[in-house]
Parts: sequence; C-alpha cells; structure tokens
Amino acid sequence: MSGETMRSIPSRFTDSHIGPVLLTARNLRKFFPIRGGLLSSHIGDVRAVDGVSFAIHEGETVGLVGESGCGKTTVGRLLLRLIEPTSGHTFYHAPPEVLERVEQSYREIGPYATKEDGESGSWSPKAQAALKELDEIADQYSIYRKNHRAMKSLRGKLQIVFQDPFSSLEPRMMVREVIAEPLEIQKVGSHNEQMARVNELLGEVGLSPEHAYRFPHEFSGGQRQRICIARALALRPEFIVLDEPTSALDVSVQAQVLNILEVLQREHQLSYLFISHHLSVIRAVSDRVVVMYLGRVVEHTETDELFSRPLHPYTQALLSAIPIPDPFLHRERIILSGDVPSPAYPPSGCHFHTRCPAVMPVCSRVDPPLTEVRPGHWVACHLYPPPSTSPASGGAESLASGEGTLPPSVEGEPMSSSPSGALTTTSTP
Amino acid sequence: MSGSVAVSGPSTSFEAPPPVTPAVRTAGPTAAGQPGPVILDVRNLVTYFYTYDGVVRALEGVSFKLRRGETLGLVGETGCGKSVTMFSITRLVPDPPGRVVSGKVLYRGADLLWGLDQEARFVPARKGNRVKVKRSFRKVKAAQARVGSIRGGGIALIFQEPTQAMNPIFSVSDQVSEVILEHKGIESIDGILAATPDGPAVQPAIEKLARAVEAGDDAQVRAAAKELGDAVNLPSFGTQAYYLARQARSSGSATVARDLHKASSRLRLSGSQRRYLHSERVLMQVARESRAVYVSEMRHGELERAHHRALGRQRARARLRGIPYRIPFIKRRASKPLREEAAWKSIRALEGVQIADPVQVSRGYPHELSGGMLQRVMIAMALACEPEILMADEPTTALDVTIQAQILELMKDMRSRIGTGILLVTHDLAVVAEVADRVAVMYAGQIVEIANVRDLYGHPLHPYTQGLLSSIPRLDQPSKTLTTIPGSVPNLIYPPTGCRFHPRCPYAMPICKESRPPNTLEGEGHQVACFLYHGPPTTE
Repeated sequence: MSGETMRSIPSRFTDSHIGPVLLTARNLRKFFPIRGGLLSSHIGDVRAVDGVSFAIHEGETVGLVGESGCGKTTVGRLLLRLIEPTSGHTFYHAPPEVLERVEQSYREIGPYATKEDGESGSWSPKAQAALKELDEIADQYSIYRKNHRAMKSLRGKLQIVFQDPFSSLEPRMMVREVIAEPLEIQKVGSHNEQMARVNELLGEVGLSPEHAYRFPHEFSGGQRQRICIARALALRPEFIVLDEPTSALDVSVQAQVLNILEVLQREHQLSYLFISHHLSVIRAVSDRVVVMYLGRVVEHTETDELFSRPLHPYTQALLSAIPIPDPFLHRERIILSGDVPSPAYPPSGCHFHTRCPAVMPVCSRVDPPLTEVRPGHWVACHLYPPPSTSPASGGAESLASGEGTLPPSVEGEPMSSSPSGALTTTSTP
Repeated sequence: MSGSVAVSGPSTSFEAPPPVTPAVRTAGPTAAGQPGPVILDVRNLVTYFYTYDGVVRALEGVSFKLRRGETLGLVGETGCGKSVTMFSITRLVPDPPGRVVSGKVLYRGADLLWGLDQEARFVPARKGNRVKVKRSFRKVKAAQARVGSIRGGGIALIFQEPTQAMNPIFSVSDQVSEVILEHKGIESIDGILAATPDGPAVQPAIEKLARAVEAGDDAQVRAAAKELGDAVNLPSFGTQAYYLARQARSSGSATVARDLHKASSRLRLSGSQRRYLHSERVLMQVARESRAVYVSEMRHGELERAHHRALGRQRARARLRGIPYRIPFIKRRASKPLREEAAWKSIRALEGVQIADPVQVSRGYPHELSGGMLQRVMIAMALACEPEILMADEPTTALDVTIQAQILELMKDMRSRIGTGILLVTHDLAVVAEVADRVAVMYAGQIVEIANVRDLYGHPLHPYTQGLLSSIPRLDQPSKTLTTIPGSVPNLIYPPTGCRFHPRCPYAMPICKESRPPNTLEGEGHQVACFLYHGPPTTE
C-alpha cells in the first residue's frame, strides 16, 4: 500500500508495556493459482492477500478483522512462514533505521512494486538501486530469506494457536507428549527438565499436573484450547498468532481463555496477532486493529479510535451489523446488500465498491491507497483525500479536530495533486 | 423384532388436553404490541439418551409457552439441550439412542407426544447404569407419521448448517418445488385449472406489458406483469411474465408479446394433462385428509383406524387410475404444467426472502450458492407453507456478521408480516437481544430462567444468567473486565443433585445440593428456578 504505512507507529507506542517493532509485514501478497483448461494450465489467481503491510510491536496485540474469505488466516500463516508469499517481506527484529531505509526504498519504487516487475527492466535506475537495497535488507532481516536451519531455530520464537482445538491436538498423544513435542524437536533440555517445563506450563494455563497424563479427548473445548496455548508457549516465543482461538468456545469459557492470554502477555512480554471475525472480542483484547476486506487492508488504527470513529464505510457497516446484548439499545443499522465477492475475480478499483453504501463513480476505477487521514488512523477510501493535498483548505484538519464519525463531505475540496491523479472529479453522490 | 412391547390395550387414561386459552399475560409486548394466543405449549419435556456409558439425562422437565407472533430465544452453552428441546418437540431426536421419555407438546390442542408411554419399555441392565430400551417399532412409526403431519406445514424448521440441510444433487428450484407441492399442491392444481390464458383481458394486458418494456421503467414493467397475472387469474404467471419481459428488454423488445403468448401455453392444458392433474389432486386430497385424521388422533387421544382404512382404499383407487402417468414419457408430458407452476411458485418464494436474481438462483445447485444465500433458500422453503411456528436452530452461526444482519432482519420482517411464532435456538446472547421478545435460559437440560427480553438483560436473576451475561465481551462497554463462570458444563450421565448449577454457583447453599429449586415468579412473567428467590410458584 502507500509508502508511508510504516510511520503509523501509534501513540500507544509510549505505553510502558509496548516495546520496539518486532515484526514488520511489508507488501505481503499471496496468490493461489487456479488451474484448469487444457493441461491444467494456470488460468488465474485467487488473490488471498494482496499487498498487506503492518507492524507488530513487542508486547502488543494487533487485531485482524474481516469476514470469512478475506485473507485473515493467510496473513497469519505468512507471518510465520507456514506458507511462502508470492511477494513481499516480513522483517523480524529489524532496527528502526533499517525500517526507515525500507520505507525510503518503497517510496522510490512505488506502492505495488515486486521484484519480478523490476527484473523486466522497466524501472528507472533510481528505483533499481532502491530494489537492490531492499534486496540486501531482506537478505538480512526477512524471514522468507532464512535458510532451513535458521528458520528452524526461528520457529521457536514464532508460534500459533489454531482455531479448532478438536483437530489441532493429536488424539493418540498424551497431553504431556503434546506439550513436550516442541521441546523434543528443538532438543531443549533433558527428559526430566522437559517434564518439569510441561508441569510449569500446565500451571500457567490453569491446568493441574495430573492432566499431563490424560488424552485430548478427555478435555472440554476450553481446556483443549489451553493445552494448545501451553504448547505454543513451550519454547518461550516472542510472537504468537492466535487464529480465532475462541470462536469454537462458549462465551463463559471464551472469557476464561481471553483472561489467560492477557495474563501470559503481561508476564512474558508476548506479541499477539489476534485473528477474529468477532469484533467484540477484538475490542476486548487488542491495542491496534487492522480491518481487511478481500485481501486488502481497508482501515488500520488504534482500537479505541477504530471503535469510536470508524471511517471506512465497510468498518462502519461491520460495526453496525454486530448484535449487542442489550435490548434497550436502539441503533441505526447499515445493512450491506449482497455477499463478499470471490477473491478470484475481485471487483475493479476499490474492492468494496459493489456493496458500499457511499459508492462514487471513481470507486470502480481507482484503487484507493491507504492514507493517514488522522494521526495514526489509516484508511483506504476515496471519501478521505490524503491530508498532504490541501493543507490550507483544511480537509484533514477538520477531520483531525474530530467532527463526528461520518465521512465528511468532500465536495468542492481541491484534490488535484492526489497521488493517483484520477481523483480530480470526485464528489459525493 | 424382538423388542415388542406388552401393551395393555389402547390408552384410556389419557385425558384430553384442556382447551388452549390465552393465558395470563406473562411477557412484555410482542412485535404486534399484544401477546397473541399460545400456539405451542411444552410441558415437562424429558428426553434421555440411552448410551453404552449410561443414561444421558439431556432434558429434565422443560416447560415453556410460545405465543403467536412472538420470538422466543432459547439460549445456553453447548450441550445444555437447546437443540434437543427443538428436536424433541418435533420428534426428530435420533432414536436410538435418544428417546423422549415423557412430557406434552400441545399444538392447536393436539399433543404431539401422544402415545409416548406405549412406544417403548425400559429394562434396567443387570450391571452399571445402562438401561435397555425395547421399542415397538410399529408404534414408533405410527407416532412419526402423526407428527409428520404437522412438520413442515404447521411447524417449519431451519437448521444450522444450510449446506448440509440441502440435497446436493437437486437444483434449488426442485427442492423448493417439492415443499410447495407437498403442502400447497392442491392450491397449485386449482390455480392452473382456474387460469384463463385466453380470457378477454389477457391480450390487452400483454400489449400493455410490451409497451412498458419499451418504456424501460422497471416498476412499470412489474406493475404491468402483475396486471397480466391478474388477467390470467394466476399470480405466478405474472412473476413469469415479469422475468420474461426483463430478459426480453436486454435482447430487444420486439418479441415480448409473442414470447408471453408462447409462455402462456403452459396453461392451455391437453386432455391428458387435465386428467393427470385431476388424478394428482385426488391423491393430494387423500394425503391432506389423512394428515387431518392424524391431528385429530393426537387431539382426541385415540386411534381412528376406520378413518385410515377408508382413506387407504381411496388412495388405492386413485393410484390405480394414475397408472398411465407412471410411464415416463407420458408422465413427463402430463406433469409439465404442474412442475412449471411449482417452479414459478418457488421463484416467488425466493423473491420473498429478497434474493436478487431468483431465476438464476433457482436454476443453480446448492454448491454454487454462498452460505447466506442458502440460508435464505432454507427460510424460503420454511415459509413457503406459511407455518404457524418456525423453529430455527442456530440459523446464523455459520454466517458472517454482515450476512447475519441480513438474515435476522429478514426473520423480523417475516414475523411481523405473517405473524409466525419463532423459536430461536442459539448460543449467541447478542442475537437473542436483538430479535427475541422473550428469552429462556437453559442449563444442563433445564430451563433456569424465562423472562421478557428487557427484564432478562436488565435484571438477570439466576446466577447462571448473570454469569453468562457478564462473560460476554461487549462493543459498547469495552473497559469492563470479563468475569468467568468457573468450571464447565457437567456430564449429564451423572448430573449434579438438586440444582444442576450448584457446583459452579457462587451463591450455592446447602439446600441447593439436596433438592431441585421450584419455578417461581418474580415480577410479571419473570420465571426463575433458584432458591435465592421466594416468589409465588408458577402454576405448573
């Protein structure tokens, strides 16, 4: 997305529990090929993830929200290199000055560049130099450039808890073996040390040592999810992807698991990527939220900011669609028509324009870049012109001063110098 | 089968159910403003599952009432018996291992569980707490036939997973048509027979529609098509004309009048088509009468064998007359008008649930549709026969929030338009808060609290309800810390004694361990089963 994404280090950054940047996803793309026709040739791509960038700080929880099929889980898997990306990088423990150089390079190259495009020779010498620099940085910091041995030791630091605790535990292994398996694979400690660690982990997730000698089927859903968490914690990771960890659980049990996760985060200074379609859960656990729609980030900001001032029409609809357990509350609902389009044939321009209540002619033609419309609040929508275009006329200033949550009228505002150029004719319908 | 039952004659001890009266006003205002009459009265439902490990006491005395035009939410954690309640009411509990052991389900004065005590005998096994169930399969089959006469027509069901509730090898149109022919077949046949494709008003209406197509205004086309339907005296032809006209508009309007005339040929019946319709109508009439006999059996509490025999003879005669139409080639020709009529009626049903392109969707197969679209089709099927009661088992759990909002909006709309009573089974307390009028909270096979939705969320009384409500992460109150209910749902083979919630209850007292708390009334229509409250006992 737009070159400045990585400057969006939120103001929460000053909070005591949040440390420096741990992981930086940059322009991640994952296309799954569709094969068919003659000799099962390559006839298209499912664009599961299409240019996603965000950063995760130490001790921070980033929520990733979206409807099913929008690429949330694929992003989680890419960050752990469980699947290889089509293009893009995930920088691990890169110092701030290196990230600044990365941003510089991307500004030179343009928002949607890939190395493959560069090799075709259509780039200016400056952009080619930037690509080369990016390549050098990636060799050092990108997890996709690590060799097998380096990756294996890295796996201990990057862990995952899956959605369904019923299928992610091997039914023929005792809990003791399940939790000790990562230690076994990484050859950490002697057998006795491993068993001591298992007991310690069981205690941390609220189970007792005698549970170690039982099989997964003897546990309820909530207890199994705790076993999965214990297994993820075994190698003292720095970062855990929580892929819908509570959607298979009942509300009372969900609360138990969420509380455990919070305690563990504080004790071990863990970073979480919390993937969920459940916005109320996201609000309860995360510091920052990334909203995805059809493989792209549509909004990215701090949790309180997102929920009190959602800017993208999709986020607004998503928020209003969530049922609230309070019969006394009456809200205006935005009911979206239609289904999520197929990521194999995404709509042109802004992917959301087919369902958007505030659609404009420009939306079907031009893909809106992710722009910072308020400090730390990034939105990809034509309703919000980039602030740099009209510093005097006050489009962004009126936004920053906080005039309501509704999209401001953009009529009559000069937008001639917007990066895509085609925005000049924009007006709200 | 070895499992025959010693039966001591037909049940004479069965007392006729008392007439269903609009009982004391116990709930807050429904959507219509006033609570309607009780349409479903469930009393002391007990359902057990007889498994190898022992008897799972899944339901232990569940009672509630559903009123006309009301939505009753049934909530609780996994395994508390929400779905089993729904399945017990409609006798869909998988049997074996499950059996409804006792209870009454009164629907229009008929007890859907009548004859339950004679269907099976229970023999305690010598060892352990297993129980052998000896069923009389003849009686089970008869009971299924009786309840089957109400399923679909009177009580419609929507299941959780729409992809699994539909048959993958038939098109959507076929599956919706099947429901329409089963429940509204006679009306369809009468409609075709009464249609006037060559009536005096038809030709002007066709010309008017052709003009509207030229004008290109969709509302105008729709109105003209409806007028044509009225002229032909068959509303579904109006729908057909509308989609034909819309198709014609894209290809150029010159042929609209001719196309419409050609389409109306499905209503000009040949002799064999007419004879087929008459013979089908007799069969459908017999089926409808036999359903009425089943309902009357359940209402009066005795078998009406003579009636069934007479209907059986009628059915045999009608089948004999219908033999020529079993021959595939002839059947195909003869049944065409009825099949087309059912298909267009199913497109009307799909229009009713706001499917944007019903013709396209009805031609498709289930795998081609998204989950939300399939759930709409399921609702269309359920509502095609205008049921009095709609039971929905987690209708939106498998769907995304934006789609969930669409479906819930649709169900609210249906309730206010048709006045259907809805039993909404779900674990999502937020969904219930948005759509239900009254809420019943279940825990481990028992209803612990029933109240008007505002009372329940405003003043939850039972400790379980309180725990459940405070454990939900909320969008509107983000800073609130989540409290949890310690422990988990008990194993129902060995349910806790007394109040089933006492092992997890923060207020547990000695008496809670000893006896089951009675249902007491706390305030208007707020029923709770807990020893903390000392209101007057409920009437049941």
